[in-house]
Amino acid sequence: MCPAFGAIRNLLRMEDAMPIVISSGDGCMYGHTFVAHFYVANRPIFSPGVSSQMWAKGSVFDELKAMVIEMAEKHQPSLIPICSLCVSDTVGLPFELLPKQIGNTEIVYVPLPAYSVHTHAKAKDIVVDSLVWRLPSQRKARSGVNLIGEVFPSDPIRIDEVLRRMGSHVNTHVPGPRWADYVAMVDGSLNAPLHPFYSESVKRMKMKQGLPFVEGAPVGIAGTYAWIRSVGEALGLDPAVVETVAVDERDKVKAAMADYPLSGLTFMVAGYEGHEFLLVRLLLEAGASVPYLSTSVNTNPLARTEEAWLRERGCTVLYGANFDDEIGALQDHAYDCVIGTTPLCSHAKELGIPSIYYTNAMATRSLMFAEGASDVLSLMLSTYRSKERYHKIASFFSETGTPAQTYSSWSPKIDLTEHLIANDAFVPDPAR
Amino acid sequence: MALKQELPSDVVNTPIRKRVTDLDHAGGDTGAMQVFASLRDGNVVLDGPVGCHVMPAVAVINYTDSIPYLQNVTCSELSENEVTIAGTLGVLKEKVARADVPGRQVFIVSTPMSELIGAAWTTVDEDVKGSPLFFNAQSLDDDEWYARDRALLFLWQNREHFVRAPDAPPRPKPSGKSVNVIGPTYGCFNSYSDIAELKRLLAGIGAQVNLIYPFEAASYDTAALADATATIVMYKEFGSSLAREVGLPTFAAPFGLEDTTAFLRGLAKTLDLEAQAEAFIALEKKTTLAAWQDIWRSTHSDFFANSPIAIVAPPAYKDGLERYLGGELGLPIAYSAYRTGPQSAPSEAVREALANASPSPMLIFGSINERMIVAQEKLPSRFYQASFPGAVVRRATGTPFMGYAGAVWLLQTVCEVLFDTLFANLPTSYAPPQRAEKPTAEVMRDGQGIAVEGGKGQNSVVTWTDEAKALSEKVVKRVPFFVRVSVTKKMRAEAEKLARERGGTVDVAVVEEVVAAYRPRS
Repeated sequence: MCPAFGAIRNLLRMEDAMPIVISSGDGCMYGHTFVAHFYVANRPIFSPGVSSQMWAKGSVFDELKAMVIEMAEKHQPSLIPICSLCVSDTVGLPFELLPKQIGNTEIVYVPLPAYSVHTHAKAKDIVVDSLVWRLPSQRKARSGVNLIGEVFPSDPIRIDEVLRRMGSHVNTHVPGPRWADYVAMVDGSLNAPLHPFYSESVKRMKMKQGLPFVEGAPVGIAGTYAWIRSVGEALGLDPAVVETVAVDERDKVKAAMADYPLSGLTFMVAGYEGHEFLLVRLLLEAGASVPYLSTSVNTNPLARTEEAWLRERGCTVLYGANFDDEIGALQDHAYDCVIGTTPLCSHAKELGIPSIYYTNAMATRSLMFAEGASDVLSLMLSTYRSKERYHKIASFFSETGTPAQTYSSWSPKIDLTEHLIANDAFVPDPAR
Repeated sequence: MALKQELPSDVVNTPIRKRVTDLDHAGGDTGAMQVFASLRDGNVVLDGPVGCHVMPAVAVINYTDSIPYLQNVTCSELSENEVTIAGTLGVLKEKVARADVPGRQVFIVSTPMSELIGAAWTTVDEDVKGSPLFFNAQSLDDDEWYARDRALLFLWQNREHFVRAPDAPPRPKPSGKSVNVIGPTYGCFNSYSDIAELKRLLAGIGAQVNLIYPFEAASYDTAALADATATIVMYKEFGSSLAREVGLPTFAAPFGLEDTTAFLRGLAKTLDLEAQAEAFIALEKKTTLAAWQDIWRSTHSDFFANSPIAIVAPPAYKDGLERYLGGELGLPIAYSAYRTGPQSAPSEAVREALANASPSPMLIFGSINERMIVAQEKLPSRFYQASFPGAVVRRATGTPFMGYAGAVWLLQTVCEVLFDTLFANLPTSYAPPQRAEKPTAEVMRDGQGIAVEGGKGQNSVVTWTDEAKALSEKVVKRVPFFVRVSVTKKMRAEAEKLARERGGTVDVAVVEEVVAAYRPRS
């Protein structure tokens, strides 16, 4: 999927925003509307029409400006974000000539050239960054924690509950459904990026608004304890109270995890969300072996501690991974279960390995605290237990009657074209 | 795959019920009429009042088989005079005489009314070949399925009675590779597509169709059932008594990949077509089932393990869907029940089970009865028709449930329902965006109103009481897993919006109000 969509989806879910997407053409626009209407929101996406003639004449900008003014005057949304995709960002439209405010409406430029954004995660970071950059440095007395990152909807409520036991609270949570959720960020006293890829946003907020931040998320036994401790420390809360709460929550996670022993099982995790680390942490603590983790996200200062923790426990971490890397890694071990990207899962299914698409599996669940641990681990266990079914189906479709298991030594530099040629992908099948 | 030999009464026949709500099956007269009227040369005279004719042969048939009315069915139109004084014989003779035209075999079928008054059918002369035959449908006691089973047996017992039409083409010589298909008749859900798929499978392994009986046969073909080498019984509900009498190796129609593969291999062994069958299965994997494999390898199937379904249907479909969707695809079966047959679940039991299932099934296969339960109990479940009653058009032959093509069609259908459910629960609906009250700069200068804990301002931070949290979690658990995140988000947003207007706390009352207002769009 186009990396820019990570941003568009979050903006489309804002109730008081009317995003404009300057697409790179109808194919681009079709793709974005297709996926947006499939799973983001039942609402329209606005775009100035583009053509080579319009680019050449420069009339795209005139059209855009007219659109912005008309939309702002007619609907008065709090926000009109202008998502500039590959072509318009390369051509370089004079966005500074657009008004910043029209009436009560803020107009914000969101640069999303997909060729340099690379991942969904990065695009989400860009949204927070672009929106918050518009805000002043500080407004009034600060209090509470800003949560940053898409989490299960009940997670912020749970975090708030834990923070209140230590004498603080959740100030706001972004990406949120309202412009006010972002505006409120300047009133918080601490940023908590729950996913490591919000690094640009928190760095810039530290610079402009002077807001400190803490890494990590309350996931797993050690992770929950560490996160509560570091939030307490950053906010200068009573250390004794913080310790009590941290120990209490840690023990609850420990107790919940005992119900789902995964020892003896080998998992492979590959995704492009950036929070794969958290899942692997849970799996490792539950006793599973996870020899390989890859993520499309690039290396990131906010992920270093987490990465070191995983490496110490025998996990190879690969950033900026692609399909070839994943296919290669799949051949390296006898996996019991794969939580991965779409093509990887499809390939694993052909081999008879139970697998689920990372996003489908994780977006519908909480990972945090005791509830999150049991939710996720029960899914992992039930997926593994469907092994027989996967094996049967793979056997049915394989020529030989058994799944085409092939273990070979893995070279991470497999050429995809070579791989496909080796698998006869280009040989026309007379039966088709 | 050989069918277990059962007496018809083991499979069907209506138990005595004290109370009936939303009945799921027709009576014996309808079942018998649907068998005889299916025959190419059958003319049916129902011995009953006009309602016994227009209800099954005009009204209902238009919604089960999309046929405006059955042209070969008529009725004695009993009136007060016949019921109280004259008896039915006079009017019946008149109607039979009109129906008894050359080339047609007349079947007189009793109805509850004629059975009640003990109509004197014995005077009908049955000794002359081709003369009208009388069938006692026992419709006061028997259901449609039991009657179909008996009617088919009745045809076999009278096979020497039927007269071959002079212009009928000669039947081919027995080849040793031909097969009977017993079932369907009129009023069998989705039968047009299922027959097409069975024919496709038979042709695929090189077998010939001897007779599709009674649907594509004439009465005088009945004796030729014995020319085949094997018999397929399409439904568990009826047809096995006839198959047993015909006495050939018998197979049940298959659902899903495993069933179908075993079915093809078993049948091929009987017909000595094993090599052809293996070649066909291999080819199917690359053609018909390529779609199946592609869908299964896609992320669509990730949701199966968390998308419970319910199946309420007559035995063949209920068992077949359960084996395929539950066993092979791994969709959890939240509830399943037979409609029809001695084990048939009363509507009230079905209602209770469906309404109390937690989580609610994402998808309910059933009849209009289940559809009404979904509506009345406000279940978040989607409904998909898999049995009668219920108005539906299923005449195109591309929607089979049986065979390999059926496996693909059902898989596709489940995925479509997943997508539909997703759309109905998308978090944002089309509406103009909320209007901004003030410019952002002004809002920020004022200072108050944003993030004021417990405040009433539009942007105040909201707290949840423990009870409200518990209640919302309980509510969310009822929603199909697949869309739980959207629903949770929506509920949280709505509850917090309400709370902001009322003092900053989400309590039980707020959650209840939000839940009452929430209806998934469909």
